[in-house]
Amino acid sequence: MIQRSEKVMLEVTTDWYLTLAAILFSIGFLGMMIRKNALIMFMCIELMLNAVNLTFISASKHFGQVDGQIFVFFILVVAAAEVVVGLAIIVSIFRKQSSASVDVLNVSRG
Amino acid sequence: MYQEVKLELIFLLPIFLPFLTAIFLFLNKKLFNELITNFFTLNSALLAFVIAAYSFIALALDKFKPVNVELFQWISNPDISIGFTLDGLSGIMLILVTGLSFVIQLFSTSYMEKDENHCNYFVYFNFFVFSMLLLVMSSNFLVMFFGWELVGLSSYLLISFWSKKPAAAKAGNKAFVINRVGDFGFLIGLMIILDTFNTFDFYKILQNTSGIAESTITAISLFLMLGAFGKSAQFPLFSWLPDAMEGPTPASALIHAATMVTAGVFMLVRISPLLQHSKIASLLIIIFGLITALLAAFSAINQFDIKKVLAYSTISQLGFMFIAIGAGAYVAAIFHLVTHAFFKALLFLGAGAVIHSMHHEQDIRKMGGLRKKMPITASMMGIGTLAISGIPPLAGFWSKDEILASVFVNGGIYYVFWALTLGAAFLTAFYMGRHWLLIFEKDNGFEHPDVAEAPKAMTRPLLLLGIFSIFIGFINTPFFHGLEKVLHVTLENVEVTHLPKGITLVVLAVLSIGAGFTGLIIAFLLFGMELHKRIDLKKFKLESPINLVKDLSSNVLYLNKFGNLFFVSGMKNLSRKVAVVVDGMLIDGSVNFVSTAFNKSSKITSTTQTGLVRNYVVYFGLFLLLLIALFIATPLVPR
Repeated sequence: MIQRSEKVMLEVTTDWYLTLAAILFSIGFLGMMIRKNALIMFMCIELMLNAVNLTFISASKHFGQVDGQIFVFFILVVAAAEVVVGLAIIVSIFRKQSSASVDVLNVSRG
Repeated sequence: MYQEVKLELIFLLPIFLPFLTAIFLFLNKKLFNELITNFFTLNSALLAFVIAAYSFIALALDKFKPVNVELFQWISNPDISIGFTLDGLSGIMLILVTGLSFVIQLFSTSYMEKDENHCNYFVYFNFFVFSMLLLVMSSNFLVMFFGWELVGLSSYLLISFWSKKPAAAKAGNKAFVINRVGDFGFLIGLMIILDTFNTFDFYKILQNTSGIAESTITAISLFLMLGAFGKSAQFPLFSWLPDAMEGPTPASALIHAATMVTAGVFMLVRISPLLQHSKIASLLIIIFGLITALLAAFSAINQFDIKKVLAYSTISQLGFMFIAIGAGAYVAAIFHLVTHAFFKALLFLGAGAVIHSMHHEQDIRKMGGLRKKMPITASMMGIGTLAISGIPPLAGFWSKDEILASVFVNGGIYYVFWALTLGAAFLTAFYMGRHWLLIFEKDNGFEHPDVAEAPKAMTRPLLLLGIFSIFIGFINTPFFHGLEKVLHVTLENVEVTHLPKGITLVVLAVLSIGAGFTGLIIAFLLFGMELHKRIDLKKFKLESPINLVKDLSSNVLYLNKFGNLFFVSGMKNLSRKVAVVVDGMLIDGSVNFVSTAFNKSSKITSTTQTGLVRNYVVYFGLFLLLLIALFIATPLVPR
């Protein structure tokens, strides 16, 4: 028998997924903090949602339980609904001021 | 026994009959026209008077033994109950009030004819009669206080009866407020009584005066005296009565001349067993009575409103009653109360008839020479004038003479008081003579083509009261002590000042008659013959003193202005200061402080609300980090 070293391939553990999710979430959050285009911010929110989805699925896989995956379906549905509302809002903002910048929308400042 | 029970039940009827009439008329006032209203109110008043007279006769047959009815006991300790009593004193008042109420209501039916609130007037009138009877028939201070307050209320209602006139509304307010000052004293007196005697019952209080310290008795007397001063319009608290003349004249006759204003006199006679133990209170009463009698008589000299002269005259006569009380002549006080009630009601109703015929003209300068047009009214008012001036054998002479003699008989400082009282009697005759002459005799150059004698419903009460004003004085003369016998049981433990005997009495009587005649003669010389126009006043340098007297008299020695300056303006300034300091600075300040504190702090916190979404996200992230840090730092606690 030929002894083949099979340790070359790195095992993709749950930690990797979680780290990826954390990185994605941070990117989304950073984007929320520094960008002012409403569309980009919206995409950042989606990014964060998907990071959370990834966390749920990895945890589900790790513990061998299915409820995390069920949660993801809920989040997807809510996100889809939210996209509809959110895009509509963005369109109306764009129509009003012919740019999608949110910094102009500061009427509720103290 | 049978007789007693019956009387107990019967004498309550006249008290509550006017009350029921008032309610009945009030409920049906939209339904009844003037005729039906008159029918009910007159019959009820007549019935009340008949029952009152019956009760009084039954009481007289029983030698004026007091009859007490306790309706129910309210509180057992302290002993407070609702009860009524019929004795000599309250019996006289019962007859007086119900009798005059009937006569004056008869007059009112004509005087108030075609008034838009005709029915309301009789509602108030009956309500007043009820309140007054509650006051005089009570067997304890509590019921008396109820009546005391209710007569104040009904007096207020009747003074401002024509409330569309601003002066009437103001006068009602003034009467009410000044009466409150007196009632305040009365209330404090009642509290001291309850504290000292543990009961409000007259007989229990007045028979147990021996063991009480004189200082307590003096305190009670002084506070009750203040109450009497308010209700009876005595010196510091008198200015409401002349203003009260804004009310309908018949109401003035009953309330502000004959009955309500005498409530203070009645009350002081009622507490005479207490009062006789307090020399200070008696002295103060006689001094204030004197001041009032002189001041009001002086003020009446130069008044030109037909009713205001009578109002000042009423105040002055009430002063005489207080003089009598202060001199310990309680019988004389009640005697003068009774005679005064008749001739003053007569004078007021006469004035009412004149006002009615003159189409509501009240200025006596615009009258004059009315004697030929209104012979009955003129002669009846002449009788009233003679009676109040103290001309024998009319009613006023007997009572006023008794007061004068009683003051004289006390001796010492009372000789001075007697002389001053005599002066007031002289002034009384003078201003009343002037009053009558200006209205009926003097020719002022005014033609009164449409003035005629008042209708019969007015002249008949005048005739009736005129007859009484002549003869009522004979109930208590030096030869026949009728009133003394009536009041004998009520004033059993009281040392009443008796009249002097023999020649002294005759001399005093002659002097008092002399004062009355002198006053009338001087009035006749000045206003009948107009003597002052025939002498050159400038030659005697009399013009300026006479003008000064006239000025002082018509302005009541400027007391109203003085009172306005000190009490009203002072109070206004004080309340303005309170408004600024307490209300403005303290209360408003604290409220404003709270609101500005919130305003400023929220201004500071609202700077964090920039309106930029990115900033909110930053806050969100920071707090998220904080939460995570807390989560990590918190050690897991095993269950």
